[in-house]
Amino acid sequence: MKLPKNLLRSLTIWCVLFWSANSYALQINYTMDLEWRGFTDTSSVQERFNRDVSVGFETEFRTSFNDGNTTLTFTPFGRWDSRDPERRHYDIRELNLIHAAGDWEFQGGISKVFWGVAESNHLVDVINQTDYLENIDGEDKLGQKMIQVSRSFEQSTLSAFILPGFREREYRSSDDPLALPFKVIEEAQYESDDGNSHIDYAIRYSGYYASIDYGVSFFSGTSREPDFIPGDTPGEFVAYYPQMDQFSVDIQVTDDAWLWKLEAIRRKYSQRSFNAVVAGLEYSIYGMADGLFDLGLIAEYHYDDRGDPAAVTFQNDLFLGMRFGFNDAESSEILAGAFYDFDDQSSAIRIEANRRLTNNAKISIEAQLFTNVDIGNITYGLRHSDYILLSLQYFF
Amino acid sequence: MKSIITYATALLVGVLPFHAALSQSAEEKGLEIATATNQRDSGWSHVTADMEMILKNRAGKESRRKISFRQLEVHGDGDKSLSLFLEPKDVTGTAMLTFSHGLEPDDQWLYLPAIKRVKRISSKNKSGPFMGSEFAFEDLGSQEVEKFAYRFIKEEACGEGFQCNVIERLPQYKSSGYKRQIAWIDKEHYRTIKIEYYDRKDSLLKTLDFIGYNEYVGNFWRADRFEMVNHQTGKSTSLLWTNYDFESVLDDSDFNQKALKRLL
Repeated sequence: MKLPKNLLRSLTIWCVLFWSANSYALQINYTMDLEWRGFTDTSSVQERFNRDVSVGFETEFRTSFNDGNTTLTFTPFGRWDSRDPERRHYDIRELNLIHAAGDWEFQGGISKVFWGVAESNHLVDVINQTDYLENIDGEDKLGQKMIQVSRSFEQSTLSAFILPGFREREYRSSDDPLALPFKVIEEAQYESDDGNSHIDYAIRYSGYYASIDYGVSFFSGTSREPDFIPGDTPGEFVAYYPQMDQFSVDIQVTDDAWLWKLEAIRRKYSQRSFNAVVAGLEYSIYGMADGLFDLGLIAEYHYDDRGDPAAVTFQNDLFLGMRFGFNDAESSEILAGAFYDFDDQSSAIRIEANRRLTNNAKISIEAQLFTNVDIGNITYGLRHSDYILLSLQYFF
Repeated sequence: MKSIITYATALLVGVLPFHAALSQSAEEKGLEIATATNQRDSGWSHVTADMEMILKNRAGKESRRKISFRQLEVHGDGDKSLSLFLEPKDVTGTAMLTFSHGLEPDDQWLYLPAIKRVKRISSKNKSGPFMGSEFAFEDLGSQEVEKFAYRFIKEEACGEGFQCNVIERLPQYKSSGYKRQIAWIDKEHYRTIKIEYYDRKDSLLKTLDFIGYNEYVGNFWRADRFEMVNHQTGKSTSLLWTNYDFESVLDDSDFNQKALKRLL
């Protein structure tokens, strides 16, 4: 793992600071996970990646003062991987100060922000860069430098963000079975002359009215999602980050056991623009089989008017999911989901199961199957990359 | 107007005139006791407390949860409450915000700290177990008077030497797991001493005992210990309450979606 010297130094300083000042008010939560990944297609070139072992470690330091109105959080994270050197990475997930003063909240530093309501893809969620080194499901995010000011009203909140310091997307080694099907050159290119120090901004108004939760957001700045343009060497590509303006809405209606969801965006680049939407529902049946488990059913449809399955993951796709929540003391849970592409019939299945082992430990299994991959689909490079991931998480 | 944890009394109310009691129906007397119970515990404004939950299965195997709890009294509607989960460690930082609304469905949001997501969730799951325990969501929710129809049954001795009114409560809200409940409420301070829960088939399902009542600032009574026993499965759950604080500095802005994220 490459740890910059100044980072190590700052880490040490923080630790000393935390311990010396108000050590009784300091909370520290450690999370360690041990991962074992096995690819099922041992005949393919990815063979050397079989039995890939990896360890992740995250520490959350948190202290609050001023009657709990001011909170300081520091969450460094690192991972070591036995096979893929690119997956040996380090990130500051959070290093921020939050101050709440009545209806106002001020936040400065490195933070994570989540926007949206959908389960299978997060269209409107554009503040943080996605961490694909952690998982290909897009749920993990890199920390983002920001200044955030929020004003809460009776049933809504208005937030303004200033976002200095862009984070590039990071890629796995090109021989990692879960890598992109081409090599991405280290040096990225930007539309803005300011490169990765372009200052982005965003504004969001969100709230609820009766059974409706809504959010309206505007983002202007460097696209988190790069375009790939051919590099000087054939087969190599450069990640190019254009400037964009994105307007989005997200709505959830909670009606008894039904959740109705919609996320829609309009994104404008200097040369082109497009619209995308995810709409769906979640229905829960509680206490099935005499109270043994709760069943959640999820259906979400994805549409993107760029319409090209080779360039866009969710241009005309359906997601169907099931969540079994067992009402046991171990909080056992099984999630199963499938994507289906209406344009080229590509499909993929993911199954996740987890269970608490002790007060401090949890075990989970994840199986990802690319059941049918069309040669023209963006996921074609993953056609031999079915895997099973076993992970043990330890909290202390 | 009041959660099950807040059965207590604030002020002394005059004894019911004898002739009025005679002319009352059992339903009227039941409602009167429930209303008085609610009245006695009004005006506490807000409270914070810590809860430890001990789950025991039939073989005696234990697992524990820790929750930090805060509640805001709302006049004219159900209370607002915020539960922050501290243990088991895999859910540390997860928090639940509930705005209860009597017979109308509650508004409920769940905060998932790993992805910083606040998600509105369905509050339909009244009868499901809370964190795998023997407490259902409806047992721990806000207990407004209109949530039940009442019937006075009798007076008898109960708990540690109390004289109690025994009343039957029939859930009027949707999706309850119970046909009825029988509650023992002490005559002096209107504290709930015991509740029996009968399932939809009218068999005795669970018994909840409230043990160790203490009087806090403002004359509000709170029990240190809730003991729930499931007679059908042999499992039990204890709730141990500590650090009751009626004088903390809390207001409406501590009970919104934003506040969920800065709890730990």
